[in-house]
Amino acid sequence: MTRSRIAIAFLLTVVLEIAGGVVAPAQAQKAGGTLTIVRPTDPVSLDPQLETTAPGAWVYFNMLEPLLTMDEKMQIRPSLAASYEVLSPTRVRFKLRPGVKFHDGTPLNAAAVKFTFDRALRGTPPARWASLAGSLSGAEVVDDLTVDVTTREPYGPILRTLAMYCTGIVSPTAVQKMGADFSRAPVGTGPFKFVEWKTNTHVILERNPDYWGDKALLDRVIFKVVPEEGARMIALQTGDADMVLLPAPAQLPALKRDSKYVVHEVVGGRVVFAGMHAALPPLDDVRVRTALLHAVDRKAILENILEGSAVPARGVLAPSVFGFKDMQLDRLYPFDRAKAKALLAQAGFTPGPDGVLQKSGQRLSLSWLAARGRYPKDGEITEAIQAMFKEVGVEAKVQFLEWAAVFTQFRAATLNQHMFTLGWVTSNADADYSLYALFHSKQVPPTGWNTSRYANPRVDTLVEQARRSLNQTEREKLYGEVQDILAREMVWIPVYNTKEIVVTRANVKGFTVHPVEYNLWLGKVWLDK
Amino acid sequence: MAVSAGSIAVPVANPAPATLSADAWLRFRRSRLAVAGLVLVALLVAAAASAPWLAPADPAKQSLIEKRTRPGAKFLLGADEFGRDILSRVIFGSRVALLVGLVSVSIALGLALTLGCLAGFAGGWVDGLIMRVVEVLLAFPYLLLAIAVVSALGPGVLNTTIAVGIWGTPTATRLVRSAVLAAREAEYVRAARALGASAGRVLTRHVLRNILPTVIVYSTLFMANAILVEAALSFLGLGVQPPTPSWGLMVSSGRDFLLVAPHIATVPGLAIMVAVLGFNLLGDGLRDALDPRLRGQL
Amino acid sequence: MLTFVARRLLLAVPVLLGVVFVVMLTVELIPGDAVALMLGEHATPEAVAKLRDYLGLDKPLLVRYGAYVGRVARGDLGRSIQQNRPVVDELADAWPATLELTAAALVLAAAAGVAAGVVSAVWPNSLFDGIARVGSLFGLSMPVFWTGLVLIVIFALWLPWLPVGGSGSSGHLVLPAVTLALPSIAMVARMTRSSVLDVLHEDYVRTARAKGVAERLVVTKHALRNAAIPILTLLGLQAGQLMGGAVLTETVFAWPGLGRLMVKAIFARDYVLLQGTVLVFALAFVVINLAVDLAYGALDPRIARQG
Repeated sequence: MTRSRIAIAFLLTVVLEIAGGVVAPAQAQKAGGTLTIVRPTDPVSLDPQLETTAPGAWVYFNMLEPLLTMDEKMQIRPSLAASYEVLSPTRVRFKLRPGVKFHDGTPLNAAAVKFTFDRALRGTPPARWASLAGSLSGAEVVDDLTVDVTTREPYGPILRTLAMYCTGIVSPTAVQKMGADFSRAPVGTGPFKFVEWKTNTHVILERNPDYWGDKALLDRVIFKVVPEEGARMIALQTGDADMVLLPAPAQLPALKRDSKYVVHEVVGGRVVFAGMHAALPPLDDVRVRTALLHAVDRKAILENILEGSAVPARGVLAPSVFGFKDMQLDRLYPFDRAKAKALLAQAGFTPGPDGVLQKSGQRLSLSWLAARGRYPKDGEITEAIQAMFKEVGVEAKVQFLEWAAVFTQFRAATLNQHMFTLGWVTSNADADYSLYALFHSKQVPPTGWNTSRYANPRVDTLVEQARRSLNQTEREKLYGEVQDILAREMVWIPVYNTKEIVVTRANVKGFTVHPVEYNLWLGKVWLDK
Repeated sequence: MAVSAGSIAVPVANPAPATLSADAWLRFRRSRLAVAGLVLVALLVAAAASAPWLAPADPAKQSLIEKRTRPGAKFLLGADEFGRDILSRVIFGSRVALLVGLVSVSIALGLALTLGCLAGFAGGWVDGLIMRVVEVLLAFPYLLLAIAVVSALGPGVLNTTIAVGIWGTPTATRLVRSAVLAAREAEYVRAARALGASAGRVLTRHVLRNILPTVIVYSTLFMANAILVEAALSFLGLGVQPPTPSWGLMVSSGRDFLLVAPHIATVPGLAIMVAVLGFNLLGDGLRDALDPRLRGQL
Repeated sequence: MLTFVARRLLLAVPVLLGVVFVVMLTVELIPGDAVALMLGEHATPEAVAKLRDYLGLDKPLLVRYGAYVGRVARGDLGRSIQQNRPVVDELADAWPATLELTAAALVLAAAAGVAAGVVSAVWPNSLFDGIARVGSLFGLSMPVFWTGLVLIVIFALWLPWLPVGGSGSSGHLVLPAVTLALPSIAMVARMTRSSVLDVLHEDYVRTARAKGVAERLVVTKHALRNAAIPILTLLGLQAGQLMGGAVLTETVFAWPGLGRLMVKAIFARDYVLLQGTVLVFALAFVVINLAVDLAYGALDPRIARQG
């Protein structure tokens, strides 16, 4: 009898231990602690009205929430809107979650949504993201918790647009009270709220104890500015930082093998490319552009500069985007110096005395504007391509400026340079977002983002059609045709498709990296110390 | 000898001016450090002059697959992040360093000689005005003036050179002026003028000859500083633009790989140090040999 | 004495005004339409007109200058274009860090430099002297930014004793301060050595020694006191070197001070902020030089009498 009791006791212990082992990890979430994140640049602003790029977005994504959200599988999920109903091709009705409060205590209601969209679409000046919102025309209050979002014409990507990181709802009271200072201390509904921003040094957020959803587990988050890649990695190693954004590719293999760190990676939505000004001679000649494409050894760049931290670009869109078509760049534009030289000769260029090509006494010298450190290895890629151009007799003069200055020039009404280095992420994972803004002839800056000044009437028609259609199959077909046309008249030299890579110390748990770079969600992160 | 912050003490009038004579050379030769400086500078100039033949590879040629190679058989000083030969880039970098140094010294001297002579001879309010301007420019700490000029003009070799030249002008102007003042008082000059020689002749024959040692010493020491300032500007991204090899730029781009391939950033820095050291030693040696009284001023 | 102080203060004023003028000029040097470039995408016609008006670009140079001086005197240094924040706020955030760094470096330069120089002078041509002199030559020739990187390599890779970037604890201050101080230590050591050596050969020192005064007393009381003046000059000058070097050191070590702010302003083409930072540096330097001048008066009554 004792033996069977012992046996049962033993079995029970074993069972309990196993059960405990299974249950324990989920329960071991610890609240508290400060997460220190290092990234290269300081934001320009924390208000989506003024800032749509990552440095600001990483921070405000945790403070300002949109109506909908996109999870890591790029599926649409409710956020501040508990449910929605498509009433007509131009009207979607959203029911807001009850009882949600902004960080300043005022309630979230339909009026706040209307305020946010009015401010963004009709403010002076309108929000930076207004040009990305397509046909979005505004919001109408139906009752306190019901709001209708309207579009000017049928707009296929409407739901994905409302899930974009930059459409977070802001507190009208705070905006009116703070005026211009709101851009440095935003007030939203997110799991974290603003504490302080010391320019060029850090931004500090703290937990919002009144959050409507699962409260954040961290006490505080500190976003620090560390421009040099090497310094960021050092900070990670010494424990000065818990999380590194834009880590050093060269160190990733070693970090993956080291159990003290976790490398989170997923194929992202950003394509980084060398853009060409298609309206500026000699790049208006498609033969010259094609030659340049053949002159670039994309594989060498990916292997030696990016070292596995990115994947080859397969077109102008990322594979995770709805409407993506593989443009077969390796087949159409293989690395072939001889071909490049032949095309340039066809275009009328002959070698000059110092090896640089020339035509009618003019050297084939291209001006190039680029930043360093905005995208992984952007400066190095530019230099590498510059050297590759030299090998086929094309001289490129690069001017490196800081991102803010470069960006300013890209957004100006005239671009004086032949080439530029830029990256583009399809924030709502819908081809319309990119193909319309990037390649429609009327979307030249500052209206849109057609920095290349590309103009093709057929492409214009196609993207307009695809935008207005609500039939997703039809849209996909139209976008396929657009990409076929683009493939024949490339105005970009696509280099790589990002992998969103974030490196954390092993004690940082609950973090999942999102294909969209801006969606840095810290609401579920906790520290195991 | 006491040196006050506000102005440089004017040297006592001396009957016999310092000379570039044979015993100056003897004094120079006696100092081992001075000779070492001469050797270093000579090597630097030789390297810059013979760069295309001396360098084992094309400094701009990339070979991505060989990125970050450690110093070894193929790349004596290693390869940078683009697989370019660091040794070749360092050799060609000496050209940029020397070019910027020489041109900026010329700019500074040209301006200084003009302004200094003007101030020294004209005296009065001209002198006062020029010296006030000099004081204002000297009120800018070290690099800042150069940075301000370059940031306004834009990055690039030419603008960097101009900025470094402007940066060196105030000190040089002061030196020229005090040398002019000293020479004016010298007995032999007064005698010459009493005998009826024109100011122009006096200037060219006596004053300039008297200033020559000062100018030589100053130029040499200025070269050392010019190299440092150019390197600093390039390091900050304000100077030479890629792919031109500038030592400062090479150090800057090596920062990203500091932990995996420290040679990329550290080797060019050594070159800077050696070049600056050479000019400093040479300048010190020249000063001690030609006119040790200058020790308090330079 | 009072006349001396008054004269010095008075002489500083035109220098200050001149500095402000030069700073203002640097923005003038910008080719092209600076205003549109500065405002970037915020360049609506109204904003451009407003900024042009504020900068007074359509008025004659002297009027602009007067307005600028007036603004500076009131403490209005404009708004940073990038951050859309008053420049004085940005400066206020950053200057304590730079002050901390330069003060630490200056103390280090003074202490280590003077000590090494004195020891060298008292035992000339000894082993210490030899090492110190060679070391000084190297220290003078090493570019500040390179020294910093080398120290980072040493302390990050081989001797992980000290933090190598950013700010926070006092440990973070060590490497940047040492890096910044190195060239100054070298210069101060050299200058101290030669000053003290010169003084030690003076008659009154020999007299003191002949009288049997202890060597230590000779050195400290007589020699050092008289060598103090050139050393003090040098330290005053070093303050300027240190401020310029701070720009590089802060960049290498990601130290959040004025230097880093300035570099950022340059790249962001934020000329308003850039003007503000250069102005602060220059003004600080003028003040420091003024203080050194006044200190002379205290140290050497003959100078004060001269006025």
